[in-house]
This record gives sequence, C-alpha cells and structure tokens, in this order.
Amino acid sequence: MKSFEWVSPTSLNDAVNLLKSAPAGDDADDVARAIAGGQDLLTTMKDYITRPTRVVNLKGIRGLDRIEGDARKGLRIGALVTLAQLEENTLVRSHFPGLAEAAHSIATPQIRNLGTVGGNLCQRPRCWYYRLEEVICLKKGGSKCYAAEGENKYNAILGGGPSYIVHPSDLAPMLVALGASVNVTGASGKRTIPLEKFFTLPSEGSIRRENVLQNDEIITEIQVPASSFAAHSTYLKFKERESMDFAISSVAAAVELSLAKVVKQSRIVLGGVAPIPWRATKAETYLTGKTLSADVLAETARVALDGAKPLAKNAYKVPLTQTLVRRALVKAGGMSA
Amino acid sequence: MQQQQAPPKKKKKIKVPKVINGVETMVEVEVDDEGGPVWGPNGKHAILNHRLTRVDAPLKVSGAAEYTYDKNPPGLLYGRVVRSPYAHARVIRIDTSAAQRIAGVKAIVGATNEDVVEGSNRAADVAEKKDNMDLGSAKAPQKKERIVRFAGEPVVAVAAITPEIADDAVRAIKIEYEVLPHVVRAEDAIKEGAPKVYPDGNLEPKEKRGDAAKVEASFKEADVIFEAEYRTPILHHSCLETHGNLVDYRGGDSATVYASTQGTFTIPGDAAKELGLKESAVTAVVEHMGGGFGSKFGIGIEGKFACQLSKQAKAPVKLMLTRKDEFLLAGNRSGSWQKFKAGVTRDGKVIALLATQYQLGGLGDGSQAGQPYIYTVPNFYRERISIHTNEDASRAMRAPGHPQASFGIESLMDELSYKVGIDPVEFRKKNLKDEVYHRQLDRGAREIGWERRNKTPGGGSNPLKRGMGCAIGTWGGGGGPQCKVEVGIARDGSVSVAVGTQDLGTGTRTYTRAIVAEELGLQINDVVEHIGNSKLGAANASGGSTTTASLAPAVKDAAVNARLSIAEKLSPLLGGAKPEEISFSQGRVAGGGKTLTWKQACAALPSAGITAHGEWKSNLQSRGVHGVCFAEVEVDVETGHTRAIKMVHVQDIGLPLNRLAIESQINGGMIQSLGMALFEGRVMDAALGLQLNPGFGDYKIPGSFEIPELVPLIDDEDKREAVIGVGEPSIIPAVGAVVNAVFNACGVRVRELPITPDKILMGLSDRRTV
Repeated sequence: MKSFEWVSPTSLNDAVNLLKSAPAGDDADDVARAIAGGQDLLTTMKDYITRPTRVVNLKGIRGLDRIEGDARKGLRIGALVTLAQLEENTLVRSHFPGLAEAAHSIATPQIRNLGTVGGNLCQRPRCWYYRLEEVICLKKGGSKCYAAEGENKYNAILGGGPSYIVHPSDLAPMLVALGASVNVTGASGKRTIPLEKFFTLPSEGSIRRENVLQNDEIITEIQVPASSFAAHSTYLKFKERESMDFAISSVAAAVELSLAKVVKQSRIVLGGVAPIPWRATKAETYLTGKTLSADVLAETARVALDGAKPLAKNAYKVPLTQTLVRRALVKAGGMSA
Repeated sequence: MQQQQAPPKKKKKIKVPKVINGVETMVEVEVDDEGGPVWGPNGKHAILNHRLTRVDAPLKVSGAAEYTYDKNPPGLLYGRVVRSPYAHARVIRIDTSAAQRIAGVKAIVGATNEDVVEGSNRAADVAEKKDNMDLGSAKAPQKKERIVRFAGEPVVAVAAITPEIADDAVRAIKIEYEVLPHVVRAEDAIKEGAPKVYPDGNLEPKEKRGDAAKVEASFKEADVIFEAEYRTPILHHSCLETHGNLVDYRGGDSATVYASTQGTFTIPGDAAKELGLKESAVTAVVEHMGGGFGSKFGIGIEGKFACQLSKQAKAPVKLMLTRKDEFLLAGNRSGSWQKFKAGVTRDGKVIALLATQYQLGGLGDGSQAGQPYIYTVPNFYRERISIHTNEDASRAMRAPGHPQASFGIESLMDELSYKVGIDPVEFRKKNLKDEVYHRQLDRGAREIGWERRNKTPGGGSNPLKRGMGCAIGTWGGGGGPQCKVEVGIARDGSVSVAVGTQDLGTGTRTYTRAIVAEELGLQINDVVEHIGNSKLGAANASGGSTTTASLAPAVKDAAVNARLSIAEKLSPLLGGAKPEEISFSQGRVAGGGKTLTWKQACAALPSAGITAHGEWKSNLQSRGVHGVCFAEVEVDVETGHTRAIKMVHVQDIGLPLNRLAIESQINGGMIQSLGMALFEGRVMDAALGLQLNPGFGDYKIPGSFEIPELVPLIDDEDKREAVIGVGEPSIIPAVGAVVNAVFNACGVRVRELPITPDKILMGLSDRRTV
C-alpha cells in the first residue's frame, strides 16, 4: 500500500478535523480516510484502489463501542461496535433477531471480531471491475461501467445505471427495514440521517461514493427505533459459498401480524441486487391487510421484483430473490414453510 | 590371485515414469529380476499399514515449522514483480528512474535488454519452442523484441528493504507498451482472423487416434446416437503458500536457496544458471513447504528474478508471489472443451465414439487424458488439440488432464444410461472390462446406499431434491530409480534416515521413519529423518504420484542393509547366529538363543556406528490404480444452491504405508474435486483480457461449511505387496460424481462447470441443460 500518515486521535472533534485538514491528492481516493476495523479499507489500500494520504484511527475514541437501550426505547449502537458484539448481544438477539442474523451472516468469525457496524455500512463495492487495480471504472473516476456489458452475474438488477454495483452491506438492508437512522459528526457539526436516505443511487449522488457522507464526516451511532415488527424480523442471505461470501441476494423482512394473522404492516428490503438497500415499498403495501398464504406470498415476491432489469448474465437473481422474499416472510411471520 | 566372482544378477528392462515439470513420460530402465528385499504380506506389518499420526504435525499445528515464507535472515530484501496489465503487448520503454529514487529500493532487474529475465512459468517444452520465435535475430540481442502474451506476465522485478516499499516501487516503474490484439476465449481463438497468440497460430494438434471411418460406419448399428459438449474452466492450484524462493547470495562462490518447491533437486541447477555458479555450489533447502499440487517445479520465473535481484544487491532476497500474482502468473489447470458423438445399443453397450478434445492451456499446451478414458469402446476416434489464448500457461495440476477427461466421459456415460434407461452403475459395468472397477463400484454403491437413489430426477414437491451419482478414474503412481537413501545407527542407539526429498504435505517424513522403524523393530519416534536438502542423497521431484513408489523402496533397501549390517556385527554376541536369522522386534534383537535390548545391541557397535545405503528396487513398488467415487447432493431448486451431503471414494493402492495419510489424501482429493464441481473457475473479461477473480474472495474454494461427510475407503482387496503413489487419483472421479448426482437430484444436466446457482436456476426455467 502507498505510504500514509497514521494518526490516532482520542476525541471525535480531533478526528473530524484531522480528516478535513489532510492534504488531498490528485483523485477523490487520494484523501484522508477513517479506519475502524479496517476489514474493507485495508483491502482497498493494499490493492491501491484507495490511496489515503492520512489514515485516521477511530479506535482511540471512547464511548463508540457500546450497545444500549431496550425493547421499548429501541437500540443505540455505537459505530465501533464489532459485528461479533452485535450478533452475540442478547438484547439484539431477542428483540431485533433479524439484526443478529444479518451480523452473523457476514464473512468469517475472524472478520466479525474486527469489523465494525459503522465500517460495514461504509464498505466499498465488491464489483470485480471496481476491485481490480488495472481497471479505472466509473466508480474510480473512469468513463465506463465495465460490468454493464461485461461479466455481470453478481451485479445489479434494480436501480442500476450508469454504474451497476450492488451494495455489499448485510446490516444495511436489515437496518433500513427496522427504520434505523445514523448519527453523523463532521467538521461543521452533527446531523442525523434516516438510513433510507443515507445510501445513494449512482444516478443520484456522487458516482464516486455510495452514501451522503462528506469526507470529514464519521458515523458515530446507529439508532434503531422500537417497533411493533422488530421482534418479528429476519434476514435471509443467499451465498454461493456458505463458509464466506457476500450476498448474491438477500432479504431483510419484518412483519406485524394481527391476532387473526393478518398483516398489519411489513418491511421488505432487498440486498445484493441494487446499488443501495432496495426497499420493496409496493410489495409492503400489497401485503397490508392480507394473510401470508402461498398465493399472497408468491404475488408479494413478484411485486417486490417489479421493475427488475437484469443484465446479460444475472437474470437468475430475479427468481432467486423472489424465493428469498417468500421464505423471509414465512420466517418473519412465524409460519412453517 | 583370482577373486571369486558372484554370478551376474539376472536383469530385466522395465518402463518407469519420469516426471518433468510435473508431466509424466515413460522411460526404460534396467533392473534386477531376482532377489532383493520384499515387504511381505500387507496384513503382517507392525507399523506400516496402520494409521500413523504424521510426525511433523506438532510443528505444523503449533506454527513452529518454518516455511520459506518464514525465513528472515539478517539484511533480507523483499522482491516483487511488475506485471503486464495487457494480455498482448510489445514493451517499448521502461523507465525506472522514479522507483530508483525511492529510499529503500535496492535492486531492479529486467528493465533493460541486457538483463531481461526470459520465459514464464509455462511448461518447459513450450517455453523453449515458443520463446525462440520471439528472439528474432539472435545475433542482435539489442533489437530483441519483448512481447508480453498474457495479462500478469512479469516484466521487471524490484527488491527493497520492506515489502511495502517494494510495492510502491512497482507502481513507480513506468512501462510503455504498444498494445496488440489479444484473445482469451477458446471459441474466439479458433475463429478465422482471430489475433494470433503465437506466430504459427492458435491451434496445435496433439494427437489423433482410432479410425474415424470405422466409427462412422458403426454408428449405423447404434440404437441411440447422442451428441454433447462439456466444458471446464481454467482452475488454480490454490496452494496455501504462494510460489517463491529466498535466494541468499552475497557474492562469492556459493549460494543457498530456500524454496517452496516439489523438487528439491530441481532448484540448484536453475539457480546456478541465473547466478553464474556451479550447480554444486548452490544448496536448496526445503524443510517444509505449503502445497504445490503440480505447480512447483524448478525455480520458475519468480525464482529467476529472485536470483538476479540477489546477485545485483549482493543480499538475500525473498520473492514470494503475492496472492494476486499467484493467480495471474503461477500456472493453472488447463480448461477443457470436449465434443462427443456416441452410439449406444439398447442393451447399454457403447459401440462408437467420436471425441474432439480441446485442451485450453492458455500459452501452454494443457493436458487431457485421451477418450474413451477407462471405458472399452470397440470403435472410437479422438483428436486432441490445444487451443492457445493470451492467458498464463497451464502447468501440471494434481492428476493433469484426468479430472477434465473423467468429467467429460462420466457425464456422457451418465447421459447415455438415462437415454437407454439402464441404471448408471450397471451401464458402466457393461462398458468396463477391468473387474477391479466392478468390485469398487459395488463397494461404493453399498456405502452410499445407491438403492435409495432418486428414481425420477426433479420429481416430488419438496424444493430440496436429493440425488446420487458416481464416476471413475485411473492413475499410474509407480516410481523410478532416482533416490539414494542413507540409514545411520549410532552407538547410543539413535537411528537416522537421510535423503534430500521434500514432503509437500503428503507424509513423506512419516513413512520414511516408519519403514526404518519397522525394519529394525523400533518405534516410529526412535528414528529421526533428515530431508529437504540438496546436499543429502538424491531424490526425485514429487510429481505424478511418483514420490512414494520411488522413495519407499530405497528407504526399505537402506533399512534392510542397515539391519543386515548390524546383525553381522552382533552375530558373535548372539551365539554366531546368521545375520539374516537374527530377529529385530519390539526393541529387541534376538538370535542364537540370546536376546539383547536395542541399546545393548548398539553399544556393541564400532565407534563410528553403522551407515547403510539403499537404492530403488522395482519389485517393492508397482503402478496402475483405479478409483471410484459416489456422491450424494441436495439441490434447492428454488435458489439453485447445491449442497454435497456425502462423498465416498474407493481406492486401491497395493501396500498402504500409512492408512491415515492415505485417508487424508483421499479426503483432500474429494474436497478439491468438489471445488471444481461447484465453485471454482477463472473468470476472464474478454475485451480487457484480464482475470476478474484473482483472489480467494472471488475465486471460491470450498470452506469448512461446504465439506460433506467424507468416506475414504482403502480397497484392501488389492493384494499387491508393493507401494504405489495415490496423491492424485482421488481428485479425478469426484467431479463427475457430483455433476451426475446433481442431475439425478433435480434433472438439470450441467455441461459447463462449475455448477453455480445461476446455471441450475436457468436450467430449470429453460432448457434443462446448461
């Protein structure tokens, strides 16, 4: 990796100022970067995909590594909480089970011991072309999305264009489903952003980023509100290789059922199929007031994938994701398959 | 005075395998036709043919074993290569000035025409033949063209005081290329007007066999004629330790090379050539090495660079390939594209077969066993042809050419069995002459529970569908006369066995000890082995499963000679018993009605102890094994996911030296083959000519969750009292077994590996074959 300046501030204020004041290089990826677990950042640095001039270590800042709250008040998750902490937390497991499942589905135990919640939300894409040092694609300041007409079996079927990356985070779809928001601190102050508004489509935000964070901003906390469906949440992730893989497709689902097993409200968010966690709002609306019969599930799955535009090699993601939608709803609704 | 001459021993000529770059060829040698040591019946051994824990296990588990990667002599520099980002290009200009200015950069080689490091890791024969075409006029080397023929081909190398500085220096070297047209797909490479990989084109005929006209005629007698094509992608060896060497040459007239290699004795000559030293002045050290699978013979292009860097810097240089380098330039298993037309009768006899076998070895030739492989087909015609592409050259990989051939023919046989409605096991038997296959098929079928097998592929309403499949392989595994072994017994009772061979994870250290311990009536830990050094007795490179059958007979011979030698010395203490009648058992030496402990016996030796030597004995080894695999899988037809449930492999082996090691070998073979079936494959971008998945995140090998119940079965019906190498056969049939099981489960015939979920889902929605 390219040599860089390493700084370890002990306060948030110092950290964001160090991010802001770092000398900028020639490119948007030659600036300062914050590091927490480093599980993604280091891989991009080793491949010279990012070449930070300064790396700001967040691990010395106190108070960002706790999970607080309860089932009635909701959760406050520090950005430095590790994925292992999250999956093992009893409060999370009993009242927000989908979130524990999402954390557990990530990578390997070694990576979950180091990777953090904040870092997981800020991962860079896994697209083959993005990850190759030899290729300067649209996401790296080039003029072309090579996946659009190249090898695209893992790329987007929804929300793609001009870039066809998929967002790699497993926590993101689940947190969007749970209505979470992130607290952010930057050199010019603090703000709270609903997670649904945090991620940006390539056609909307900067093509070089996947979210609305400014370069001097740091996620400090994730707030997960209490809800009537959080306890009935689930995360189904499909991997080609169970031992370690990113989602080929995933579904974060949560449902609130009436005593008569009628859906009062639901959340369906798709992962691994779009450049952002893809909320299937139409499917949620369709589901309201219905029971989870086989026909209803099939129609919900169909509606959830409405508007999917597969590329040459990823049409299989449509039936695959439809299966996951049905199975996730069955599980979240506490039914047997 | 005339000396009494012993009558000359009867000799015979036999053919033995000789392995060059992992590729086996047969050569004739003369051997004794009588006498010599024997192993005795397979069931009568005290140590051999038992389950022995490997002697180096504690070192490896604790991390104490030092690999090349772990060696860090004082003053060490770290080497890195600069790779071409283009699949085909002419090097115009190389500017190293910026790199030279980086503090800590100590050497750069390959940047001028005077210090070009030639070649790549392609098979030696291809390298020579093809490289000569590049040279143009040999009289004017300054005008020599430098052409790169695959993306990843190393052009320049640097050495620096840290790996990170070396990485930065790699990026600071500016190479100007004239980009030339490239081709990376076989189907594109055979088109008219395709860019030429080599000056004489992209197609290279390798073999024609059989009578095409006869085959065409016999199609008329077939009840069913069936055509299909099968493809496998280029695969990677995925060694845990990447390729590399630590070359320690600080000027002067000798050097040491720590090498991650399968051939200790392939290193000194290669290195000496680069360093300008005599071969005997270079010592190769290979104490432990992290896997080769056929990819590590000779010092390779990375070793040549390491030598040049060390020579220039006058300092030790460690050049281990990065994982990405490893994928891009360390060789691979050639892909395959097989086209079949088969004629079969209603009663299940395959009577005619036409096969076009394309070997997809990139710049290399690739390999593929000839069809109809193990089957007896009365009329067949085959052509084997290499298709060259602008990709790194293939190298030997565990059973070169066999998994591809087995997958092809076993898929075909399976499809034919369904066409004529005959049970796949019975169908195979009808076309197999060798009774050993029949016996192994029966055993495998029993073990997996073949009678439970799905009768209607894809049937039933449960989305999780189970199925079973089987497939078959064959291998050689014989040895040759290359090993020189020395056994020493000291007066304090310690025993050593020394030979320069390497243990590439196959258990060489363990059986080397075990053979000596067995012969002298000792325990395995009473013997110490010294291996992995080119200053010790000669040994062959570990390719073609030839190590054990070459080495074990020489160890046995040395051990027998040591036993007879000590027995001769002890005879006076044992009532004058004849040396060959003195028994060595359970730490005691007995004869003439007297018994000594091992310590007492050794105390009677002369002060120098005893040294005995051994050589290869052809009668202690054999060659030719079978091997059958059965697999049970579960396919989720709503997600396309395939999960292996159980795999059974039946393997004949002659005398099993160490049953535990062999079972581990078989398990490893099944796992690697499962990877080939379900996960692995190099993915290339055709337009860019780049590999898209050069890392373990994207090139997916099986992890612990992917491993099914594994049942490795040693076929003890094989009564040969001879050792045979079986490193390779267990990787051959599992891939076909899994593919056939997937069809039996869900009714989708996957003809192009790997069987990924997209193919299953598209197959289910579409045309049932993918």
